[in-house]
Amino acid sequence: MPEVFSLSQSPITSHSFNADRSQLAVSLNSNDAQILTRQGNEWVPEVTLSEHDKLITSIDWAPSSNRIVTCSQDRNAYVWQEQPDPETGRLVWKPTLVLLRINRAATYVKWSPREDKFAVASGARAIAICSFDPENNWWVSKLLKKPIRSTVLSVDWHPNNVLLAAGSADMKARVFSAYIKEVDERPSPTVWGSKLPFNTICGEYASPAGGWVHTVGFSPSGDVLAFASHDSSINIVYPGGPAIYNIRMPTLPLVSLTWTAEDTIVAAGHDCRPLVFSGSEAGWQEAGTLDDATSKSAESRSAFGGNSSVGRLKAGAFATFRDADSRGQSGISGQTSASGDTKLHTIHQNTITNVRPYEYSGAGVVSKVSTSGVDGNLVIWDVNAVSALTSRLGAAHLR
Amino acid sequence: MDTAFRKINIDIYDEDVLQDSELYEADPRDPAEVLEDAKQRAGMVRSLLAKNDIPAALTVVLENAPYGPNVDDAKARILVVDIMTLQTLLTILNTTKSADIPGVIKSLSLDTQDTLMKYLYKGMAMPGWGDVSGSVLLGWHEKLTEVAGVGCIVRTMTDRRIV
Repeated sequence: MPEVFSLSQSPITSHSFNADRSQLAVSLNSNDAQILTRQGNEWVPEVTLSEHDKLITSIDWAPSSNRIVTCSQDRNAYVWQEQPDPETGRLVWKPTLVLLRINRAATYVKWSPREDKFAVASGARAIAICSFDPENNWWVSKLLKKPIRSTVLSVDWHPNNVLLAAGSADMKARVFSAYIKEVDERPSPTVWGSKLPFNTICGEYASPAGGWVHTVGFSPSGDVLAFASHDSSINIVYPGGPAIYNIRMPTLPLVSLTWTAEDTIVAAGHDCRPLVFSGSEAGWQEAGTLDDATSKSAESRSAFGGNSSVGRLKAGAFATFRDADSRGQSGISGQTSASGDTKLHTIHQNTITNVRPYEYSGAGVVSKVSTSGVDGNLVIWDVNAVSALTSRLGAAHLR
Repeated sequence: MDTAFRKINIDIYDEDVLQDSELYEADPRDPAEVLEDAKQRAGMVRSLLAKNDIPAALTVVLENAPYGPNVDDAKARILVVDIMTLQTLLTILNTTKSADIPGVIKSLSLDTQDTLMKYLYKGMAMPGWGDVSGSVLLGWHEKLTEVAGVGCIVRTMTDRRIV
């Protein structure tokens, strides 16, 4: 049974847990990031990190070095570290400036596996690879620019700490080398290539029906790449084959994905529920969803659009407006049809914007994932509780 | 207030501007070849329609359908092909009995379903033209959405390879 936490009425732009999952960094669609601490079944706000002067777009909390990186539309990123305050001696979160050198919003940030680098995607057709410069006590960046033609929407690190995958609004997913001489040891050859100076392009893959690429992810081994794009499809790339598996979905596009094992991906997006994909080098298919709307617990949820054959929004929303028009009933007072029917079948009530691994049960095997979205909810799902997609979920059709 | 500056195309001063042509691969075929092809297909469709084989007729017209921008000198020719393909398709759509539509759609491949959706929208964008009948197109649209889902509509909107 998924754990549901309603964090706010406003959208959650990004969320990231600390190493032992007792604390959570979130941005609630504002210029500030908040650190929440878990107390029983509640998340209590503890610290506010305010330094950005525009909307925070992404947060990542490095588990072992316990550093938080935030990036924002103000073209800046900050690395936050817990340090003793010189006067009181209490631990406080102190920001360090990052010299990003980008002239458009930063869109996405991610720590490298060894936590000595991070990558900041941006609207400036560039990805800033940042490493620490101890002499000046700040983070410096090197820009990956070519051949990116548009805003970069997401990045993901290969486990070797050198390769970086990026999904971009120019309809392409790419694999780059983000090798920094001062930080990295010479990487051993992978399926993506052997000689890897900075900005080597190890792969470039277009989305089949021309959707901008929302999300990218390396498999736990790093040998496989998955990306989902706005043409409602998810693609799994085996560079050695070379084979690309494309799954076209009858539902709305996915915007975030995470690998939970070498043969499983959990992805979610505008359809408001996490989908599970499974497969191997021989082929991939949709395996079901984590949001079991047919289970008993779901019966208490309203049956919005349950009898609708086309879109799940059709029946409920249509009835709401028809009642408002012909009978002068507003959605709030209309007891019979409108009020109950404006609730979605799914647990998340709006687009899911983030899917992250929450609990590991072995090397590279994720047993629980967390999702957050525009509805202000944070949900923790058991990855193994996969149920088949059903027509009760409205728009979903299996073939 | 002077608002003329709003109409200045600032992109021409940006040498690094993203061109439409960089976002998708252009139709590799020669326009003349495409035109010849379209004529042949129209003939094939007519004979298939005579045999009442709607799924095969639809597949013929939708597979490898011409797409892309109407570039320069080839523009007029491409336009002829586009119109011809649409005309052929409308003939098929209009002659199919509404009870047969779901079966026909289910027999199409995923690619063909996506292309069919593109043509339905193209037809709806040209009300009153030729044989375009709103109710027929909407009927097909409803049935197609039931089979291929809203994902099919999303792909129609995102795909730059417009028909």
